Amino acid sequence: MIRQLSLLSAIVLGSMTTPALGQQASPWQLSGFGTLGMVATSQSDIRFARIGVDRPGSETPDFGPDTVLGIQANISLSPQTSAVLQLVSRERPANGYLPHPSLAFVSYTPSPDLSIRLGRLRVPFFMHSDSLDINYALPWIRPPVEVYGLNPFSDLDGIDVLYRTRIGSTDLEFHPYAGRSAIPIYKNGRGRLDRLLGFNVSIMTDRLTLFVGHATSPLTLHWGDPDFDRLVSILPPELNRELSGGRGHASFSSAGFQWDDGSWQLTGEYARRVNRRYANSAHGWHLTVAHRVDALTPYLTLARQTEDRPIAHYDFPTTLPGQLQRHAFEQFLISRNVAQRSITVGIRWDIQRNIAIKTEYTHTKTLHDSWGSYFPRGDVLANAPIDRSINMLGLSVDVTF
Amino acid sequence: MLALGLFLSIHASNALPSQDMAIHIVTAEQGHLRQLQRDEAELLFLGRRTTAADGTPVILIDLPAGPIRDRFYLLLTGKNPQQTRAYWSRQVFTGRARPPLEAHSIEQAIEWLLQTPGTVAYLPASNGDARLRVLMRLQ
Repeated sequence: MIRQLSLLSAIVLGSMTTPALGQQASPWQLSGFGTLGMVATSQSDIRFARIGVDRPGSETPDFGPDTVLGIQANISLSPQTSAVLQLVSRERPANGYLPHPSLAFVSYTPSPDLSIRLGRLRVPFFMHSDSLDINYALPWIRPPVEVYGLNPFSDLDGIDVLYRTRIGSTDLEFHPYAGRSAIPIYKNGRGRLDRLLGFNVSIMTDRLTLFVGHATSPLTLHWGDPDFDRLVSILPPELNRELSGGRGHASFSSAGFQWDDGSWQLTGEYARRVNRRYANSAHGWHLTVAHRVDALTPYLTLARQTEDRPIAHYDFPTTLPGQLQRHAFEQFLISRNVAQRSITVGIRWDIQRNIAIKTEYTHTKTLHDSWGSYFPRGDVLANAPIDRSINMLGLSVDVTF
Repeated sequence: MLALGLFLSIHASNALPSQDMAIHIVTAEQGHLRQLQRDEAELLFLGRRTTAADGTPVILIDLPAGPIRDRFYLLLTGKNPQQTRAYWSRQVFTGRARPPLEAHSIEQAIEWLLQTPGTVAYLPASNGDARLRVLMRLQ
């Protein structure tokens, strides 16, 4: 379990006295987590990418999608006030492995039921948003991309309130939040949620967790890759205004459950995003069943993402230039559609306390009009990952310390 | 001798508990904490609360990782060791809670309890001590 690093000094054999509690109850606490993960796909002309999270890798196997290191400091400022700083290093779409502050907030707890947090938080769009980088806490190598790829925004710069109450043996948590969020987009693009408002409710019993959440925000989105720049140079200006800019609006809803009786674990989540422009509207779901047998936990996941509405519609003229424009525009829409379906079988081995090894095999089917969570190598049109059956193998080691 | 004593104390605190071993949640006899409801204890050891019912801050102590700690969490929260570790890693790395302080032996846990009234720990029922008040028995 995560402990104070300073405790190490307390168990040095040469110490002649037992450290007092006061020495241990330091206002500082350092802890960390990490994953060394790799993925390899069965087809050499494409690469796996977690859209908005990592940079599409060129190497095989690719260590980018899942490898992460996090260091966290908890600081007690008073009995009611504390601060948390968490730095995470992982491959990002634009910045390499430059450490990124994923948490930097002050928390005020005026009563046992209520916490108010201000600063950099995790935006809680999904049931497992809080622990997206903490793979040790998750059954999979990574949460199913069909659901968790629907919303790549992870930081919330703002405020949230956690109100918890207990009715009988059921815990209820109400979680409103507000703020803004931004992400880099491969290669030089950027997305921004400027006035994000959301509200989550969680219900927890000993074995069952239910989650439902909804959020809405104006959206600014600028794609930043050379192919997009070439595209907008040939498309009508009125259509370009629907593809990129600062007048978007997004809403996001999610509902999930987790049943865990210590032996069997059943997890499922449904999420939906609705965009007025710049990005498509889509929904996705997954269902995972896992069974613990001592230190081994085999699991099976079914997942699917479906596009509800493409980024934009446009009636191109039937002239030759119009048909060329239409073809280029359709290829763009396909590249921004990550719809796919998959089945994953995997196994987690808790080899030691705080160390878990996972391996999983995923069979994915992309559609005739989607790239799924894959990116072509080399010639984008010739190698577009449409209408494919793709096998992928993942291996990871998760630790907490 | 010191090394041998430390080894024995660590060994004792990790000894395999029997299936029906009772565990006591305890505090210092001279402390202010007179009683603890089961719900309250569960919320405290799950990091969902940091104060007693009267609002007084409570410092929690864990025994070293091992069968006694595992049995305690199973009895109090119904979570097995893997569930407990996954749960606490979520609590800590989302900044929601800090885990209990970890004593490296039962003896050190008792020493800390006596040093700081208001501190709460759990011990095998066989480690009875007149200086400690039993708040709850788990079996």
